[in-house]
Amino acid sequence: MKFFNLLKKELAEIINVQTVISFVIYFVLLSVMGNVMNTTIEDVSNDEYTINISDRDNTDLTAELMKLLEKSDAKINKFDTSGDDYSAILNETGQKNLIIIPEGFSEQVKNGETADIIDVSALTSSTVSAVADSGNSSAINLINACVADMISAQAGLDTEQIIRINSPLEIKSHTVVKGKSAETSVFSVMGKISMQNIILPVIVFLVIIMASQTIISAIANEKIDKTLETLLSAPVSRTAVIGAKVLSAGIVAILNAVVFMAGFSSLMSGATSANINMTSEITSTVAEQLSDNEAMKQLGLTLNAGDYILIGIQLFLSIMICLSISIILGALVTDTKQSQTIVMPIMIAAVIPYLISMFTDINTLPVWAKIFVYAIPFTHTFSSIPNIMFGHMGVFWGGLAYQAVFFAICLFLALKLFKSDKILTMSLNFGQKSKMKKAVNSSEE
Amino acid sequence: MENILEVKQLSKQYAKTLAVDRISFEIQKGEIFALIGPNGAGKTTTIRMISTLLTPTDGDATVNGFSILRDPEKVRQNITYLPDEAGAYKNMTGKKYLRFMAGLFSTDIDEINSYVERAEKMSNLGDRLNNKIGTYSRGMIRRLLLSRAVMTRPSLAILDEPTSGLDVLNALEIRSMIKNLAKDEGMSFLLSSHNMLEIEFVSDRVGIIAKGHLLVTGRTDELKQRYNAQNLEEVFERVVNNNEIL
Repeated sequence: MKFFNLLKKELAEIINVQTVISFVIYFVLLSVMGNVMNTTIEDVSNDEYTINISDRDNTDLTAELMKLLEKSDAKINKFDTSGDDYSAILNETGQKNLIIIPEGFSEQVKNGETADIIDVSALTSSTVSAVADSGNSSAINLINACVADMISAQAGLDTEQIIRINSPLEIKSHTVVKGKSAETSVFSVMGKISMQNIILPVIVFLVIIMASQTIISAIANEKIDKTLETLLSAPVSRTAVIGAKVLSAGIVAILNAVVFMAGFSSLMSGATSANINMTSEITSTVAEQLSDNEAMKQLGLTLNAGDYILIGIQLFLSIMICLSISIILGALVTDTKQSQTIVMPIMIAAVIPYLISMFTDINTLPVWAKIFVYAIPFTHTFSSIPNIMFGHMGVFWGGLAYQAVFFAICLFLALKLFKSDKILTMSLNFGQKSKMKKAVNSSEE
Repeated sequence: MENILEVKQLSKQYAKTLAVDRISFEIQKGEIFALIGPNGAGKTTTIRMISTLLTPTDGDATVNGFSILRDPEKVRQNITYLPDEAGAYKNMTGKKYLRFMAGLFSTDIDEINSYVERAEKMSNLGDRLNNKIGTYSRGMIRRLLLSRAVMTRPSLAILDEPTSGLDVLNALEIRSMIKNLAKDEGMSFLLSSHNMLEIEFVSDRVGIIAKGHLLVTGRTDELKQRYNAQNLEEVFERVVNNNEIL
């Protein structure tokens, strides 16, 4: 009963109107960003395939080329242009891209020379959609194919022979994982996995930092306002006081994780859609083979409910380790400024495995680096998805056991500190003797 | 008369400093006892040990017969502690704060309600109790905290610098509240202060503490007579000057 009274108070302190608003904002923001990405890419891909072209050569050959282009699905916009001020040309035509067939093009083709084509594209931003919007590569591929067909026809080849020359190889990709094989390209599998692997580290990183800041502020504020002394002199055990603090911060951290999980899933589904559309040429081959999901299933790379529970346990242990360490750090704080900077050790411990897991497989690091990175207990949560996916269960269970032991030690130390005089007398002085002396004197008064 | 608090040879040694050195005193039922001394004298350390916040390195103290070493939880059932310049949870309303604190002393809902009702009356904060504590003035917070400290009718209320930082009117109100509770309800008080004039007005007995040593205890009038002094400040000066330990 008294514990629930404490828990209610701690939850009320942490979950206030601002927290709820931030939950809603995170979720809405990430969902909206996902939808915007998805919609933007869909708009680009749904736009009628357009080729903006200016024929400065104006010969029978280029007229024939135009007819061939018109037979394709593309919409052909023709423009009359002159000069080589391409910026002005794009301004005049009002287009973001333009292909110019220069004078002498037909002559070059007839003479068997490599013919010149001028490709003009305006880049207005660095976004994926901007690149998709401004690219001429597909149009050039089409013109290339048309010219190749024309040259082949001039050489007396029939249609079947031309098709064989254009596509001499039929690639049948097979990807093998953990002894299982699927008829799909390795690029397609990697695309799918990397999207899944981006979400968890981001969530783990954000949740660890937020949970740490929550508990450090909770303890620091109680110390600074001296409400901790009032609380500890009331007829409740210190274990109940600290238990309520840890449990409430843990509940809020898990709520944060759920909100981020939902928000990032939405964001990433938008990004995945963008990725698929941008690599349409590669995935078209895959589409003829297996769908991404079927391939992932066949390769045993899909996660089931049990796998998610295991990942959840590692995430929970990371949160609890972070909270236990934060109790110790919070006890060192003597003013509000310190409470903002003291989260640094947790941040460093979280950012190292976060960045490493984003750019490389931890298992491929040199032994000394692997030991260093795996010694950080949060690492095991960052690498939990690839470990489960690729069947590195020894590493996974070892990590889980290490986290459990690490948590037990941290919790023991935190409880020991909280039950001792040090919770009221300890302070952070970085060896400054004069300040230390002052702090001891003030606590002795 | 029944002793509510008995302090026996209580000591506290920090790493290199002996903050409190074998001090002994007692407080009777309904008595207001004040520890007076300059900053760093050992008042807060003594009070924190009696409140079970710090563990003594030597000696013991009992509250209503319960030892601070062996029965700290029972001691905490019998005391309330108001630290110097203490704050309260700024996001809570005054009422919610009182209810939360009452819930730490009792699990019986009727008892909790009676505690809260008593504190509401004593704080004299009226409708402001429905506002968040963050909007309160320093005097209002102190009145709220003092009401909280006495709402459970503890055997011993321990108040560290009860009127520090308050204006004259608020300080007078709190002093009279303490005197009335001792007189009417038999509540015992252990106060600490370096404001000796205030202590002279409010306390029944005082203990003069300096550098961790309790130099002398007695009724204010007795001490003034013994040291041929006009007021408690002069008593303090003479006690400190006469004492060879310092």
